Amino acid sequence: MTVSPPPPAQQRMFDTTALATEVARRFGTAVTRTSENGGAASWFVVEDRSALVPLCRFLFSEAGCGFAGMIVEERNEWNLRYLFLNPGCGWVYCILRLPLSTRTVPSISVPVHPADWYEREAEDLFGLTFQGHPRLGDFVLHDQVWQEGLTPMRKAFDAGQTQFELRPQQDWRPTLVVQDPGAFAMPVGPVYEGGIGESVHFLLETVGEDVIRAVPRLFYNYRGVEKIAEGKSLWDVLLLAERFSAKSAFAHSLAYCQAVETALHLETPPRARHLRVALSELERLRHHAGVINGICRSTALAVSESHAAIIEEKLLRASAAFSGHRYLFGLNTPGGLRRDFDSEATSALLRSVDDALQLLERLEQRLSYSSSFLDRLEDVGVVSPASARHLNLLGPVGRASGLRRDVRRVCPYSGYQHFQFQVAHEEEGDGYARLRVLFAEARQSASLIHQAIETLEPGPLCADPVPIRAAAALGWVEAPIGAAGHWVSFGRDGTIERYRILSPSFRNWMGLHVAVEDFAFQDFPIILSTFGLSATECDR
Amino acid sequence: MSFWFWHGLRNGIQSTRYPHAPETAPGVTPGRPVDTQFSSAEEAAEAAAVCPTGAIHAESARAVVDLRKCIWCQRCRFGCPRPLHWETSHTWAAGSAARGAASPLGSPFGHSLHVMVVDAGDCGACLNEVKQLNNPLYNIHRLGIFFTPTPRAADVLLVVGPVSENMKGPLLKTYEAMPEPKRVLAAGTCAITGGVFGRSFMSHGGVPSVLPVDLEIPGDPPPPLAILDALLLTAGRAKHSTLSNPETAPSPDHGPRLVKLP
Amino acid sequence: MLLTLVPLILVFVLCGAGALLGFVLPERRTPALTALCGSLAAAMALLAGANVLYGSPFSGQLWTIEPLGTLAVSLDRLSAFFLIVAAVVILASSIFSASYLKRYAGHHSLRAFNAGYLLLIAAIVLILIADDVLSFLLAWEAMSILCYLLVNFEHLRDGSSQAAYLMLATGEAGFIAVEFVFVFLAIKAGSLEFGQLKTALAGLGPAARWGIFLATFFGFSTKTGLVPLNSWLPRAHPAAPANVSAILSGTILNLGFYGFIRVNFDLVPTGTTGTGVVVLVVGTVSALVGILYATAEGDLKALLAHSSIENMGVIAIGVGAALIFAASQLPVLAGMAFIAAFYHMLNHSLYKSLLFLGAGVVDERTGTRDLDKLGGLIRLMPYTAGLFLIGALAISAVPPFNGFVSEWLTFEMLLRSVELPSTSLRLLFALCGAGLALTAALAVTCFVKAFAMGFLGVSRSEAASCASKAHKTEIAPMALLAVLCLLLGLLPTYVIPVLDQSLSPRIDPHTVQALVPPFFAPAAASTELPPAFLADFHNLGAQLGQRILPGRGLVLLHRGGAENPVIFAMSPSYAFAALVLLLFLAWLVFARLARTRKLARNELWAGGIPKLLPEMVYTATGFSNPVRVVFDAVFRPAIIESKRETVAVHFRTAILRRRQDIYLVDRLFFLPLAALLRWIAGQFARMHHGRLNAYVTYAVGFLLFVLLLGLYS
Repeated sequence: MTVSPPPPAQQRMFDTTALATEVARRFGTAVTRTSENGGAASWFVVEDRSALVPLCRFLFSEAGCGFAGMIVEERNEWNLRYLFLNPGCGWVYCILRLPLSTRTVPSISVPVHPADWYEREAEDLFGLTFQGHPRLGDFVLHDQVWQEGLTPMRKAFDAGQTQFELRPQQDWRPTLVVQDPGAFAMPVGPVYEGGIGESVHFLLETVGEDVIRAVPRLFYNYRGVEKIAEGKSLWDVLLLAERFSAKSAFAHSLAYCQAVETALHLETPPRARHLRVALSELERLRHHAGVINGICRSTALAVSESHAAIIEEKLLRASAAFSGHRYLFGLNTPGGLRRDFDSEATSALLRSVDDALQLLERLEQRLSYSSSFLDRLEDVGVVSPASARHLNLLGPVGRASGLRRDVRRVCPYSGYQHFQFQVAHEEEGDGYARLRVLFAEARQSASLIHQAIETLEPGPLCADPVPIRAAAALGWVEAPIGAAGHWVSFGRDGTIERYRILSPSFRNWMGLHVAVEDFAFQDFPIILSTFGLSATECDR
Repeated sequence: MSFWFWHGLRNGIQSTRYPHAPETAPGVTPGRPVDTQFSSAEEAAEAAAVCPTGAIHAESARAVVDLRKCIWCQRCRFGCPRPLHWETSHTWAAGSAARGAASPLGSPFGHSLHVMVVDAGDCGACLNEVKQLNNPLYNIHRLGIFFTPTPRAADVLLVVGPVSENMKGPLLKTYEAMPEPKRVLAAGTCAITGGVFGRSFMSHGGVPSVLPVDLEIPGDPPPPLAILDALLLTAGRAKHSTLSNPETAPSPDHGPRLVKLP
Repeated sequence: MLLTLVPLILVFVLCGAGALLGFVLPERRTPALTALCGSLAAAMALLAGANVLYGSPFSGQLWTIEPLGTLAVSLDRLSAFFLIVAAVVILASSIFSASYLKRYAGHHSLRAFNAGYLLLIAAIVLILIADDVLSFLLAWEAMSILCYLLVNFEHLRDGSSQAAYLMLATGEAGFIAVEFVFVFLAIKAGSLEFGQLKTALAGLGPAARWGIFLATFFGFSTKTGLVPLNSWLPRAHPAAPANVSAILSGTILNLGFYGFIRVNFDLVPTGTTGTGVVVLVVGTVSALVGILYATAEGDLKALLAHSSIENMGVIAIGVGAALIFAASQLPVLAGMAFIAAFYHMLNHSLYKSLLFLGAGVVDERTGTRDLDKLGGLIRLMPYTAGLFLIGALAISAVPPFNGFVSEWLTFEMLLRSVELPSTSLRLLFALCGAGLALTAALAVTCFVKAFAMGFLGVSRSEAASCASKAHKTEIAPMALLAVLCLLLGLLPTYVIPVLDQSLSPRIDPHTVQALVPPFFAPAAASTELPPAFLADFHNLGAQLGQRILPGRGLVLLHRGGAENPVIFAMSPSYAFAALVLLLFLAWLVFARLARTRKLARNELWAGGIPKLLPEMVYTATGFSNPVRVVFDAVFRPAIIESKRETVAVHFRTAILRRRQDIYLVDRLFFLPLAALLRWIAGQFARMHHGRLNAYVTYAVGFLLFVLLLGLYS
C-alpha cells in the first residue's frame, strides 16, 4: 500500500486580476500586490510572515499553480522569492522580506512538497532555518567533507578563498527510513556505472533482492556556480550559464540571455529568435537521442543501444558542422546570436535532422516490437499522475505522467507561440510512457526545426547594445529535461549581484524517490535512465 | 526479436578507420584555434583581447594560443574584428605542463588498456564525449581499450571536471585504489586549469592541484578522437609525434609531447 | 573382555560419583568437575568401543527379574560404532564445559546441570549397550527426561521452556509407539533379550513387519527429527547451552538411527523395498526442508539446528537406499549405502558439534546469536573463526574435509540405482538425487552466509565489535574436532573398512573390497583383482603412481565390467596432495612475479565513499533473501506488521514491513492436528452441561460397559 497524495482541492482557473482579487479577499492586508516589474507576472509581497504558508498552500493546492522554485537574496534584508507558475496567469511571485538578523523562516514544504529541496539547499548555503521542515541537514555541503555552520552563499563569504579549515564530521550517519529486520543500505557510487557515469551516490535501502527505497545523495558536482557568478560581468556569467550543464547548454544560455534581455529591455530580432528555436530544438533532439541511448543500454539491448548512440553522435557532428561546436557553446549572446548561418548551412542541418529523425523512427518501430525490451520498461518506475502533480515533475517525466505542462505553451518565449507543435504526453507514468514521450518530443523538435528554418527571414541577428542598469529578471526556457529558469540581478556597478539557476533536474531528482520504491534491484538502472536526469545540472 | 540481428548485420561496419586512416567526417571535431600571424602587434593584441580566459596572448605581431586555457567559446572566431585561424585537427593531447612527458605504459598494455573514468565536477560534455568512444562509430574496443567500473582493474585514470571539493575525496580514493603502473589523464580544459570555474571555494581548479597528471587533453570538450588519441599515446601506440599542423610550433607552455614509437 | 567391561563399569561409576560429588563441592568447582568426569567417562567409553570394534564383541547378563525375564548388556560392533561417535562428541563438549559453564555461575544452578549432564552420558551409554527391551526402554526414557531438563536449563530465556516441553512431548509420543512395538515383540518371543527376539521373530508375516517398521520409524524419527516430526528440533537445540546442543545434535540424533537400525535391520529385517522407499522419500524431503529453513534462518544456533535436520535427511537417504538394495538382493550395494550413511552420521556428529561449540563461543563472547548483528569477528576471535570455517567447509561438503567424502558416497549410491531392476525405483532414485544436489548447493549458500555474516566484514553491532578471544579449553575441543574432520576427509580408505567392520556380519564382506581395493599394495593386487580389471585400470593411467604413492588412497565405486571399463573413483588424499603441490607451485610463480613488483595494500573499494559504515553492508537477512524469494511458495511469509509513516505526503519517516513465516511442518501438520484435537475436545465438552441426572447416566452407562466387558472376557 502506498500513501497517495490527497486529491487536489477545488481547483479554479484564475487570470491575473481574479487571482489578485482572491488573494486580497483571503489575506487582506497581510499580502499586498506590487507592480514592481510590471509585465505579465503577479507579485505578492507577504507583509505578515504568518501568511506565507497559507498563501503558498492556496496557490499550490487551490489556485492550480505549480511551484517553480525559490530564490533567496541577501541584500540589506533577506529577500525570499517563491516562484509559482499558473497556466492561467503566468508567473506568480510571493516575496517575503525579513531583516538580516532573522535566521528562521516558516517552512512551506509540508503543504508545498516541491519546495522541500529548495529549503534544504537554502538552509545549507545561507544558514537559514526553515521552521517546520521535517528533514534538514546534510545536503549540498556533505557533512563528511564540510563542517557545520559554513554558509558559502552569504555575501560575507569570499568565493575565491581556497584555504579554509574543513572539519568534517567523522560520525556522519545516513538517515535511514526502512526499519525491516535485517534492512541495510547498499551504497552505490559516487564512482560507478562502468566508469562513465555522473557522480551520484545512492543508498539503496533493502532487505536483499528488492529495493524498498532509494535515496540519492547529490551535489558531488557542486561547483558553486551561483556564488562564483557574483561580481562577474554578464559576459563571463554567460560562459558559466553555458558550461555548468553541457547537455542542455543552449537552453540554459538562452534562459540566461532572456533574463538579461528582460532586465535590460533588449529586443531580440526575429531572425535570432527563429535561429534560437531551431538550435534549442536541435539540442532537445540530440539530448533525447542520448536519453534513449541510455534506456537501451540499461535494458542491455545492445543493437538498439548502438543504433541510438549512432544517432546521438550524428547529431553531435551535425551540430559541430552547423555551428562549430558539438554542444552548441558560444552561440547565444544577450540580444541575439553571435554568428549567422547561410542557407547552405541551414539546409545541411535540415538534411542531418531528417536523417536522424528517420533513424529514430526506425528505432522506435523496432523497439515497439521487442517484447523483452518492453517487459523491462512497462510498469517499471511508475509515477502516478497524482504524485507527478504533487511533486511538480517537469519535462518529459512529468508529461509521461499526464502533466501537460510545457512553458513553451504556458509562457511562450522566443516566438514559440508562432510555431505549430503538440505537447506530447502519456498517462501511464511508467518507463515505457517516458520513452514514448521522448520519441514524440523528438519528432516535434524536428518539425519545429523545419518550421523555424523555413520561416527564417533575413535581417539583423543581434539587438543594439544598451547600457546596463540595476535590474533583475527571470528568463525561462523549456530545457530538454524540463522547465528551467535563470534569475539575474544586476548590481549598481553593472556586475551580476545575484545569479540563480532553477534547474529542472533538481526538481526531478527530488521526485525520483516516488518511482524507486519497492522495485527489483535490476530495475534500478532502467528507472534511472528513463528519468534522463543530469546530476551536474542539478548540482550546479 | 531476431530482426535486431539482421538490423545489425545490414548496417554493416560503421566504425572509423582511425588511427589507421584519418577521420575527416564533418563535425567530428570542433577544431581548434592556432597561433596566427597578424600584420602588426596592435592587431595581435586586439585579437588577444577578446579571449575571456587569457588563453591568447600577443607576441609581437603573432597571437599565440595556450590551448590549456582555451574554453572553445569561439569569441576569437566569430563576431570579432581579428579572427584567429582555426584548424580542424584533433590530435592535441600533450604531456603535463608541470611534469613534462610521461613514459607510455608499454607493450603489455598496448592492446589491453583499462580506463577508469571519474567525473570530478564535470559539466557533462567531456563525460559524454568519453561515452561516445563506446559507440560503434568510434568503437574503441577494437583497439583493445576498455572502460572499467572498478579502479582495481584500471591502468589509466581519466578525470573530467575541475575537481569539486565534494569529489576530491572520491577521486583520491579512486587513484589510491588503482594498481601500479598507472597514468592520470586530465580531459578537458576544466580538468587542466579549472576552465570557467577556475579555483574557488568549491573547485580545485583542475586535476594537477590534487593528483600528478601525466597527459592533458585540452578541449571544452575534447572531441572523442582527441581522447582516443591521448589513450593511444598512453598505451604507446600513437605514431605521430608532433602536432599535426606543421606550420605551428608547440607553444612554450606545452610540455614535451609523449614520444614513443612502439 | 575385561578391557571392555572395566571401562564400561568405570563410565557409570564416574558419572554417578560425579553427579553426587557436585552437590558436595563448592559451586565454583562444578565446571571443572563436569569437565573432568565427563571427559574421563567419554574416554572410558571410547576405550570400550574401540576394544570391541577392533576386537571381539562383548555381552553379559545383569540379573533376572521374575517373571519378566533377564536383563542383559552387550556391546556388538554396531553399537560400538555409535558408542565411539558419541564418546568423541561427549569428550569434546565436556572439555568445552570447563570454561563455558562459568557464564552461568551465580544465576543458574550449576550443580543441577552437572548432575543432569553426567547422568545423560550414563543414559546414552546404557542405551547403546542395552541388550534387552526393559533396560533399553528405561534408558531411553531417562535420556528423554534428562534432555528435557538440560534444554530447559536456560529457563529464563524466552521460549526455552516451551521448546523443551515440545521436545519432551514429541519424544514421548514416539516413545509410546516404540514401546508398543517392543512389548509386542517381547510378548511374541516370550523374552526380553534382543538375542532371543531375533531368533523367535524370523517367521513374522509381512503385515507385522510393515507395522513394526512404521511404528518404529515414527517413534525413532521423533528423535532424529525427520520431517514431519521435527518441529521441536529447531526450537530445542538452540535453547540448550552450547555443550548440550553439541551432544543433542552429535549424539542423541544418532541414537534415533541406532534404534531404527537395531530394530529394522538387526532384529526384524524388513525385507521389502517399500520400507526403503518410505525412508528414502522422507529423508529427501527432510534434507530439502532442513536446508531451506537453515538458509533463511538468522539465528546462528537455529541455523545449525535446521541444518541438523538436513543432515539427518541425508543419512536417511543412505539408510533408505540400503534397505532398498538389501531387499533387491544387492548386498554389496546395500553395504555401500550403509557405509555412506554411517560415514555421514560420523561426519555430522563431528562437524555439527564443532559448529555448535563455535556458535556457543560467539554467543558467550558477544551476547547475541543474531547473524544480522554479528560480523567482523575474525579479527577479534581468529581461532574460533578458523575452526568454525573448517566446520562450515566440512558441512558444505568441500574437499578435503570429511563432508565431501560422505556426500559423494551418498550421491554415488543414488547413481548406482541403474543396477536396480524396477524402473520406478530408478526414477525415484534419480529424483532423490536431484533433491540431494539441490540440498548440497543450498548448504554451501547457507554456510557461506553463516561464516561470512558472522565472522567477515564489518561488525554490525556494538556487542560484536567488542568481543574477546575464546578460552583455551574452548579452543582445544574445537581443534580436536576440526582435526578429525580433516583426517576423515583425507583418509576415507582407512575409515571405510572400520565402518564395514561395524556392519559385519550382517553385510556382505566384499563391500570393502569393492570400495577400497588393495590396488596399490602390489602383492595383494596381483592375487585379488582380476587381470582384466587391472588391464582396464592401467589403460586409464592409474599405474602412474603405483610404486610411489603410499598405502590405500583410492575409493572406488564402480569398477566397470569387461564391456564397460568406466571407473568411478576418487582419492581425497591424493587430490589433497596434488592440491598442496599446485598451490605451492602457484606460490612459487607468484613469489617470482611479485619480486619485481611492489605490493600495495589498499582500503576496500566502495565507490569512493569515505568510509563503509556498518549500515551499508550486507546483513544475513539480505544475503539469504534471494533464496527466500525464490522459495516463497514454501515459506509463505505472512506480513504481520506493515507501516509507512509520513510527516506529509511523500515525506517518509519510517517504512516497516515485518514478515513472519510459520514453519512448514507446523503449518501442514501440527496446526491442523491441534485444530482437530481442539474440535474433538470441544465435542466432548458438550457433555458437560451441568445437569446432574445426565452425569448419573454417564456413570451408570460406564459401569454397565465395564460389567459387560468383564462378562465377555
